[in-house]
Amino acid sequence: MSIYKSAVDKPITTLLIFVAVFIIGLFSLSKLPIDQFPEMDPPYISVMTTYAGANGSEIETNVTKLLENSLNSVEGLKTITSSSRDNLSLVSLEFKWGENLDERVNDVRSAIDMVYDNLPDGCSRPTIFKFNSSSIPIAQYAITANESYPGLNKILDDNVVTVLKQIDGIGTVSISGAPERYVYVELDPNKVDAYNLSVELIGNAISSNNLNLASGSVKMGKEQYQIRVQGEYVESSEIEDIVVSTTYDGRQIHVRDLATVRDTIKDVSLEEKINGKDGVRLIIMKQSGANTVQICNDVKDLLATIQPKLPPDIKITLIYDQSEEITHAIKGLGESIFYALIFVVFVVLFFLGRWRATIIIALTIPIALIVAFIYLLATGSSLNIISLSSLTIAIGMVVDDAIVVLENITRHIERGSSPRESAIYGTNEVWVSVIATTLVIVAVFVPLTMLPGMAGILFKELGWIITICVCTSTTVAISLTPMLCSKLLKAKDRIFNQTPSEEKKKKRITYENTVVRFLDKIDKLYAKSLYFCIRHKFASLLVLIAVFAVSMIPVIKGKVGTNFMPSSDEGRLSLTVELQRGTRVEETMKTARAIENAIYVSVPETQLISTSLGSSDESGISSIFSSTNNNKISMTVRCSKKNERERGIEEISEVIRQELAKIPEIIRYQVSTRGGGMGGSSLEVKIFGYDFDETNKLTAEFSSKMKEVEGARDININREEDRAELQIVFDKKKLARHGLTEATAAVYVRNRVNGMAAGYLKEDGEEYNIVVRMQEEYRNSITDMENMTIMSGTGSLIKLKEIAEIKEYWCPPSIERERRERCVTITITPYKVALSKLAASATEILNDMTIPQGITWELSGNYKDQKETFSNMITLALLILMLVYVVMASQFESFSKPFILMMSFPFALSGVVWALLITNKSLDMIGALGIILLIGIVIKNGIVLVDYINLMRDRGHALTDAVALACQSRIRPVLMTAITTILGMVPMALSKSEGSEMWVPLGIVVIGGMLVATLITLYLVPILYSIMARKGERDKNAKKRKNFYFMGLDDDIEQVNMNTFNAPTEKLTENKH
Amino acid sequence: MKAILIIFNQADTERIEYMLDEMGIRGFTFIENVQGRGSINGEPHRGTHTWPEMNSAVLTIVPDEVVDGVLANVRRLDKRNEEVGIRAFVWTIDQIA
Repeated sequence: MSIYKSAVDKPITTLLIFVAVFIIGLFSLSKLPIDQFPEMDPPYISVMTTYAGANGSEIETNVTKLLENSLNSVEGLKTITSSSRDNLSLVSLEFKWGENLDERVNDVRSAIDMVYDNLPDGCSRPTIFKFNSSSIPIAQYAITANESYPGLNKILDDNVVTVLKQIDGIGTVSISGAPERYVYVELDPNKVDAYNLSVELIGNAISSNNLNLASGSVKMGKEQYQIRVQGEYVESSEIEDIVVSTTYDGRQIHVRDLATVRDTIKDVSLEEKINGKDGVRLIIMKQSGANTVQICNDVKDLLATIQPKLPPDIKITLIYDQSEEITHAIKGLGESIFYALIFVVFVVLFFLGRWRATIIIALTIPIALIVAFIYLLATGSSLNIISLSSLTIAIGMVVDDAIVVLENITRHIERGSSPRESAIYGTNEVWVSVIATTLVIVAVFVPLTMLPGMAGILFKELGWIITICVCTSTTVAISLTPMLCSKLLKAKDRIFNQTPSEEKKKKRITYENTVVRFLDKIDKLYAKSLYFCIRHKFASLLVLIAVFAVSMIPVIKGKVGTNFMPSSDEGRLSLTVELQRGTRVEETMKTARAIENAIYVSVPETQLISTSLGSSDESGISSIFSSTNNNKISMTVRCSKKNERERGIEEISEVIRQELAKIPEIIRYQVSTRGGGMGGSSLEVKIFGYDFDETNKLTAEFSSKMKEVEGARDININREEDRAELQIVFDKKKLARHGLTEATAAVYVRNRVNGMAAGYLKEDGEEYNIVVRMQEEYRNSITDMENMTIMSGTGSLIKLKEIAEIKEYWCPPSIERERRERCVTITITPYKVALSKLAASATEILNDMTIPQGITWELSGNYKDQKETFSNMITLALLILMLVYVVMASQFESFSKPFILMMSFPFALSGVVWALLITNKSLDMIGALGIILLIGIVIKNGIVLVDYINLMRDRGHALTDAVALACQSRIRPVLMTAITTILGMVPMALSKSEGSEMWVPLGIVVIGGMLVATLITLYLVPILYSIMARKGERDKNAKKRKNFYFMGLDDDIEQVNMNTFNAPTEKLTENKH
Repeated sequence: MKAILIIFNQADTERIEYMLDEMGIRGFTFIENVQGRGSINGEPHRGTHTWPEMNSAVLTIVPDEVVDGVLANVRRLDKRNEEVGIRAFVWTIDQIA
């Protein structure tokens, strides 16, 4: 029992099976989370080690190098980079994409264990961090306030953060730039000295008078009481009244005599401004695997309910919400799918002219697509850009099988068979070739799932989805389609069909009179031109080769550039601006305001500017990841939606660059259009070399030359300029004489400058720091430092300059290394120029420069990724071509015939080149994917032609006749499948929605390639076939004759075989006698 | 008694079954998937990639007077569309056990 026969015999079972599949699919669709990309954990692990008191180069030699050497042997490691700066060593390991990071973490841990004993004493245990996608913020809100600003931290903590944290799947909710309440006790050093006191004494007095302590319990009679000492400060003003010491004449010295107590917010060195107003940023992250869109919506709803409960001056505005981009992108893709579906249905209706047949074919689309949702749910994936664009690609392909089956069934019905039997036997005749064409598609898409690297993660889903869709469509084509045909198609009775009113019919506008005539005309035109070409086959072949050669000229001339990923217009810009080193925070603020104003004027599309500058005092873990410093400003500019403005984000960024170039205080700036997601390309040039001076010189020379290159923007050097530092060098002998050690003396200096932590002020369950330190005016110059008083071991007061010398010196703030060598990275962003062209000019510049011995350079960054990905893809394309060859060769049972079809693929490349030139786009990773898809689609559509020519040859037609007949009768199916595929891609290529930059190149490449390849295939295949097959077939017949020579049959007899079936039958009867 | 061997395109199976039923012919032997090639014209039915169509055959032993009716029906079926293909062959049966 074959599947199609069972299906036709049991229509209800068949129907219900597919209804069940459909319902499960819909259920899966409702359960699928929506996300931007398939889940992918970037394969990075970092190892952080602190070694207090060491500077960058000490850290480099004593910690980083040791760790690097040991970690270098970890399996699966791709590159090792490190950064050594004061007190801190950070080694980052990049693994190959798709590695099991949990295992790698273990390997890293054991590698650290091996080297841990060799690390210097006092070095902390290295900490291992694993990055994952959940550490990228999914939404950011700006919260501005006027009067409530000082208390904003507490208000938000109590009312917003705790509420938001209850949302299902939400990760960290953090507030950046919130003012923290601090109690500062600022001392006048002169008074402190006059009373013979020290900072430490005062600090201890404050902290030891701030105490709640349980002191046991007392039994009195029948009762038992707990005893508590209750001495904690209730208000900060109490600190002023604390007695620090008593003079010899019995007078008490209060804190207020020595210092001013300020209960205030922390001194700003980190400033957040939103649209120029004081504000904070609310940063929301999600748990890995959670539904981004759902969380963002929940957050939005909750914030709307919270807003009225907050003080009226607090305003919450959205900076950025990933879900908006995702929903827009998904909506855009959904629309593409919808339009593609409509186009495909119309094409089918146009060619078939019967609505029942069209419905049967159109039904395969939703079924094939919905099975993909079941796959997505089963693998824990999501509705994302990749999965939905795969569906768009699939739409044009899933109808092909059904078309072939339906066409054959219709042929049977038109011959007068009953629909039921036509369905069974019609399917029986074609099901093998239907499966064979599907195998070609599978041969293209399954290898795609094996691609390594980031591209591999993206294309894995695509490969599986298309494979699943196409396989489902084949299953549908050989089960549901015959079943529906047997039920829906009407039997045609040929005898009664010939109605006498032929005359009347001709005048009416019917399908037969319009479309069929048009198609007949095309058939005729094609037949005529094809005969001409076959008659002049060598000349035509030369013309075709010439066309191909001409189309490749732009490639050789380098007119078609390559890129890694298209940069997408998310309506968001990030600016990083660097001022002169050592600039005071206050000065940086002024410049920030100036930049903001310039942006408002020159970019009216601006909706919100969020600025942050300076750095937080505390060197928490988070501060290693942010590079804000007192002289650095980072800004996020949000513009209006893509379709609401005329200028693209790239143009806007160029305008801002010009504005920034006008501000003299700015030394370096970067305007990046890359959002939180992927996209965009940049070129990195790495210069390796130990000597700082030489590499710096080289870097400076290179970047100044690079600035003149057209399209090179945002040239950024990752090695920061040397930083001015004050070094206190203690005289150890003098220290010893005063009963001090370097450690205690260092702590004393820190207490005076940075402040001494003197406990907490508790209020409403929150703790606020109390910090004792010198007034600012007494710690502002080297002289002030030298005049600081320190209490010696014997209790006498000495000045710092008596025991130490203060020197100013310059040091590199951090030492960056890669591949265990010191390295400088220069990042260059292309503007309206392909990455490959920029890389070429960079190489040229570097080759012209004299590079000292011991210094090497390489191109890296996205350019390297791109080269890797492209070379992977070329390998993949070769693998796919081989697999496709295997499938075709076994289908045709011929070594040579697959080449006829494969020759049409180069013309697809011509089409791609033309399409890219016309649309002025460069080839990126997604476009390259399109080329790989073309291998499958182009060859698949050509199979029908070769197969039918073979058939005609086998049925005994002479070569030229066979070729012409086959091509003429197959032009409609070939055109139909090609047009469905092309039109299926059109909505994708024309899409203007947000995030569409990702898949537009794919559409362009496939449409261009398909158009040209289909037109060329229609001529190339017959021409090549007639050139290649002529000799082969003749030899075959001779061989056959040779085998049966012993039978002594007449020479004429060889003509009596299948091949001469259409020859006059007299011969057959003659020989029988 | 005569033996009639009807060889026909699979696509006509239903019609042949209907004919036998209507004519009250109860006994027959049905042979599915038989290959063949016509002596004069028409496409071979070989079940191959080249000639994908297949025949089926019905062998039925009927009283002499039924034969003409069967043959007439077969001819009618054939006339309906000659491309589909149907033939009937008749010979005499000597004995039946």
